[in-house]
Amino acid sequence: MAGPTPSMLSNTCAGCHGPNGVAPGPSIPTIAGMPYNFLKLMMTEFLKDERPSTIMSRVAKGYSDADIDVIAKHFSELKWGVQGGASVKGKSIDPAKAEKGKPLAKECEKCHEEGGKKQDEDTPRIAGQWLEYLLIKMDDYKTNEKYPQPKKMKSQMDKLSVEDLEAVAHYFASQK
Amino acid sequence: MYNLSRRNFVKLTGGLAAVGLTSPLLTGSARAAEGKKRVVIIGGGYGGAIASRYIRMADPNIVVTLIEKEKIYYSCPLSNPVIIKTRDLKVQRWTYENLVKNGVNVQYDEVVEIDPVKKSVTTAKGASFSYDKLVVSPGVDFKWEAIEGYSEKASEKIPHGWKAGTQTLLLQEQLSAMTDGDPYIIVAPPMPFRCPPGPYERAGLVAWYLKQHKPRSKVIILDAKDKFAKQGLFINGWKELGYNVEWVPGNEGGKVTRVDVEGMKVFTEMQEYKSSAINIIPAQKAGKIAHMAGLVDKTGWCPVNQKTYESTIHKDIYVIGDACIATAEIPKSGYAANSQGKIAAAAIVAAFKGQGEPDPSYVNTCYSLLSPDYGISVAAIWTFKDGQVTKVSGGVSPEKASAAFRKQEASYAESWYQSIMAEMFS
Repeated sequence: MAGPTPSMLSNTCAGCHGPNGVAPGPSIPTIAGMPYNFLKLMMTEFLKDERPSTIMSRVAKGYSDADIDVIAKHFSELKWGVQGGASVKGKSIDPAKAEKGKPLAKECEKCHEEGGKKQDEDTPRIAGQWLEYLLIKMDDYKTNEKYPQPKKMKSQMDKLSVEDLEAVAHYFASQK
Repeated sequence: MYNLSRRNFVKLTGGLAAVGLTSPLLTGSARAAEGKKRVVIIGGGYGGAIASRYIRMADPNIVVTLIEKEKIYYSCPLSNPVIIKTRDLKVQRWTYENLVKNGVNVQYDEVVEIDPVKKSVTTAKGASFSYDKLVVSPGVDFKWEAIEGYSEKASEKIPHGWKAGTQTLLLQEQLSAMTDGDPYIIVAPPMPFRCPPGPYERAGLVAWYLKQHKPRSKVIILDAKDKFAKQGLFINGWKELGYNVEWVPGNEGGKVTRVDVEGMKVFTEMQEYKSSAINIIPAQKAGKIAHMAGLVDKTGWCPVNQKTYESTIHKDIYVIGDACIATAEIPKSGYAANSQGKIAAAAIVAAFKGQGEPDPSYVNTCYSLLSPDYGISVAAIWTFKDGQVTKVSGGVSPEKASAAFRKQEASYAESWYQSIMAEMFS
């Protein structure tokens, strides 16, 4: 059985994640151009309820491993981009906070290199990601014990205060 | 500097349209259009706009004409916050310019006739368009007659607010002018209707407003039904947020049968209710053109092949969005229409290529707000299996969740809106 084509499967994601996976904000992340392994891991963790989420665990359970593979491949091959949502009511980046966040992000940049632009098999790009999304994730990583994260990330999260993490989010969001 | 190339020249003459088919200059462009497949799409909302875009994306050689009455589109989803003034109607406003840039021939006109034999449509302005495939996405129409005394004219005084724009603003004005102490009355329709959680989202948001501005008032929902979408989440959430909402289900006498527009009264079989603020959401059926074209069955909605959305009544006509009968509890929602638009687009493109019916994938996600910072959602995924639509996963937000969780969902509701509108109009 052929099943739905990769674009038929993946286009259904666009209603939330934006045309071609480039979200217009303010808080659902852009997934275009993210690493294939990372996208696959996220979907699988959502599916198995290993990663707390609002809606994604309900969505991910609708797809087989083969579907997830196809969807991850589709979005990993698309181009990362920034789409101006003209009427988005999201929080805007505060340059002072971004400035404050820059030195605090030094430790993060050991993995999230090049101001968060770098990505590899299991590190997503965070530079230029939507601010409100980064703030929500910071909150999840900092306060939700069940949130899966690498040990070295957890130790950095523990070191930084909520205000520091907010500044770090502004910094990474400001990197284009 | 202006370069008069042959290409420009042909384009210019083409722009003069049907000045004269005898003109030898036109034969070039006429020949270019010859052999090209033509798709006409009626209705530029969540279904039609997406279908037009995805057909063009799949094959730019297909000539796509979108016929839409209004030059300005106001989105119904996220229009409830406009009523309580936490959102500007401008944020709901979109135009078709980018669809035109993407090569869709947009005609601001109304289709008055479909000829499924000659395969052409006729418009109010007297134009006619031939098609190889037709997509009908007219949304809903109201059964005005279902409540005695209610009518389109009456909706200027007792608004429905079930098509965004002027009606939304009427509800906004009515709410801010209402007398503190009067109940805010919402008359909710029977199934099936557009946006099943919509009346209850409206009830909660109005209650949020009343709590601050008219503390002696409460919301009364007079319902034709005994249950509703996301019911547990709504009812618990209203309690949690300290709202004064009274829901009267159909089996407890909630069904409204008559309205006195002048006296601002609605009547159930047991009781009359009077207020300075009444919102009637009438019972619904498929949009007018679907009825005129004989695309509906006795339910008042359009039966379709669930794999392609092609009408089971007329060949080569696809009905998507609220107007169609979608099985397996796919709701009449914006996201469902978006999914159906993509499925119909893929089916049409495949048919032109002489391929079989492609396997579809159906998704719905729908957010509702209980306050500006309190969101809930429902999601579902369906596949086509063993000849029918089958639900694979889905569900509503958890019954118990932190304030942070509800706030995240409210933020995702905004992001959902921006994404789905960008897909249509950016």
